[in-house]
Amino acid sequence: MGTITALGLLLLICMVAVGGTQGLQAWISLLFNFGALFFAMVLMAFHFSPVLVTLVTGIIVLAMTIFLGGNDSNSTMVAFYASVAVLILLVILIIPIEHWAQIQGFGQEDSEDLEGMSTILGISYLNVAISTAILSTLGAIAEAAIAIAAGLAEILEQHPKITLKNLQAAGFKVGSQIIGTTFNTLFFGFFGGFLALFIWFAGVHYSLGEILNDKILVGEVLMVLFSMMSVIATIPLTTWAMVASERQARKKV
Amino acid sequence: MIIGAKQTHSLWQRWWPYLVVILGALLVFGVAHDDQLYQTPILKIQSVKQISSDKQSDQFNNEDRQVEQELDGVITNGNDKGKKLKIENTYLKSQATTLGYHRGQKVFLTVHHNRNRISATISNLKRDTALAFTVWLTVSLLLVLMRFSGLMALTSVIVNGVLFWLAVSWNTHTQGGIVLAIFGGLAIVFAALTLLIVIGFNRQMLMTLLATIGGTAIAIIVALAVFALTHERGVYYESMQYVTQLPRPLFLAETILGSLGAVMDESTDIIASLMALKTEKPDISAKQIFKSGRQIGGEIMGPLVNVLFFIFVAETLPLALLFLKNANSWGYTFNMTMSLGVVQSLISGIGIVLTIPLACGITSLMIGGHKSWGRLQR
Repeated sequence: MGTITALGLLLLICMVAVGGTQGLQAWISLLFNFGALFFAMVLMAFHFSPVLVTLVTGIIVLAMTIFLGGNDSNSTMVAFYASVAVLILLVILIIPIEHWAQIQGFGQEDSEDLEGMSTILGISYLNVAISTAILSTLGAIAEAAIAIAAGLAEILEQHPKITLKNLQAAGFKVGSQIIGTTFNTLFFGFFGGFLALFIWFAGVHYSLGEILNDKILVGEVLMVLFSMMSVIATIPLTTWAMVASERQARKKV
Repeated sequence: MIIGAKQTHSLWQRWWPYLVVILGALLVFGVAHDDQLYQTPILKIQSVKQISSDKQSDQFNNEDRQVEQELDGVITNGNDKGKKLKIENTYLKSQATTLGYHRGQKVFLTVHHNRNRISATISNLKRDTALAFTVWLTVSLLLVLMRFSGLMALTSVIVNGVLFWLAVSWNTHTQGGIVLAIFGGLAIVFAALTLLIVIGFNRQMLMTLLATIGGTAIAIIVALAVFALTHERGVYYESMQYVTQLPRPLFLAETILGSLGAVMDESTDIIASLMALKTEKPDISAKQIFKSGRQIGGEIMGPLVNVLFFIFVAETLPLALLFLKNANSWGYTFNMTMSLGVVQSLISGIGIVLTIPLACGITSLMIGGHKSWGRLQR
């Protein structure tokens, strides 16, 4: 058995042992997300527009992660709508910044990997960079939206008569509880993955100026920042979506 | 007088985020005009002329266009400040390794003095302004929307960033020989400091710290056991990028750091909710605490694993596309570009899941009392 298969099966066993059906769903959503990511990549290789493919993949991935993650139907619906809104805002932000910073493709640090490779590709790597940035934030958006919506749903369950204004304040309070730890999840997730690059910088004695203008580093830091902004934006948007949905529900009664 | 002080105090409380936003905007403006700080000559591109655009193809039938452009600009710093230059630049339209430049951009130059004439080639694009702008935007959003909790989140990220850089330098001084010890040890310091900033020093923080360190350690131990049992088949260390030292310990150090944040996030959530539950229902039994914790954990583990999965695997996309366009099979492309990211996600995932019983166990032991814990075991 290969290591990846063994680790995957072990994860399945752990998830089911700890979370039961919910664990199984979480494992399936991970598998599905891998499939979606790989499929998106193959479509890009066949010259479908990377940004368009990413947007469609992104919405499907958000739906799968959110609906397979939560169990309260109203709060998952709200989380899904809010996360799609965040995704669209993020795309609008990412496109001009990536055009500005031009971090697409490979840097001089990558030359070893590129040896013997043809770089005549016919795919706009600027669009690939935009897609990469969008894809890397999907998990963070889904997680934050679920956390806020679930937190608010619980408050609504305990205090069904809470005023809409207090509900909104509660949303920001839940947000302030998750923001510190979520930022660190993102920070360590990204910087842990790029430890080797930082060791390279230190070993070759890059100057501060070289580091702050380096293609790979700037690209990486931009991805962390996009993820952080998406989490920040998720807090008010999910709260407002929840308030709006509650207002609708109360009108009906 | 006391009232006056109070008013300034509340005024300050209300407006400080906006003050930071304005100061930050000034700083970004400064970065956009910081050319004098660089020793490398900088050229501001004033006009761009396309000279030619030819079709190119390779042995895999990929087609691209090769564009030649002539850039006119003026040097903005150093001894040659004010001198006008003409530079030719050739790039492929896909821009994977070469770049096309636009009017208004600034680029770093390698200048060659040849008798009295100077000629130059472009070494890099100046990206510091774009970086500073995005940092400013993020910090502004964070402080204006989240205020104090935003400031704390920012502080913890900055503290961790500084520590991270110190650890990297230390690793370089030791030639990478003890990379695992450095980053394993630092993971503990990272966790302790972050939790101090986010929670403050109390029993809850100590419990969370214990769960975080335990969860991360279990993940690595399980991973090493699986590695040993499967003889690391399908783990291609040679596909690691930017490697300047022994890859295996480096990979493990990366995995420790990568999982640490998520495991910490999760233990914080579970233990904070359980503490709140205990305050609400003081007579709750250890068994009930454990059960509630498991339910909370079950809800957040799926989304958390996906956060790390997208971070680890999405960034392999550009290289994976390059492999596919060079007529490599899907399987080989996966092995050489994505497999390590997937292994990292799976190890972190196992850590995230196993942290749930650990955090619940610690909490019910600490606040449920030993007697009620004994009842659970029976």
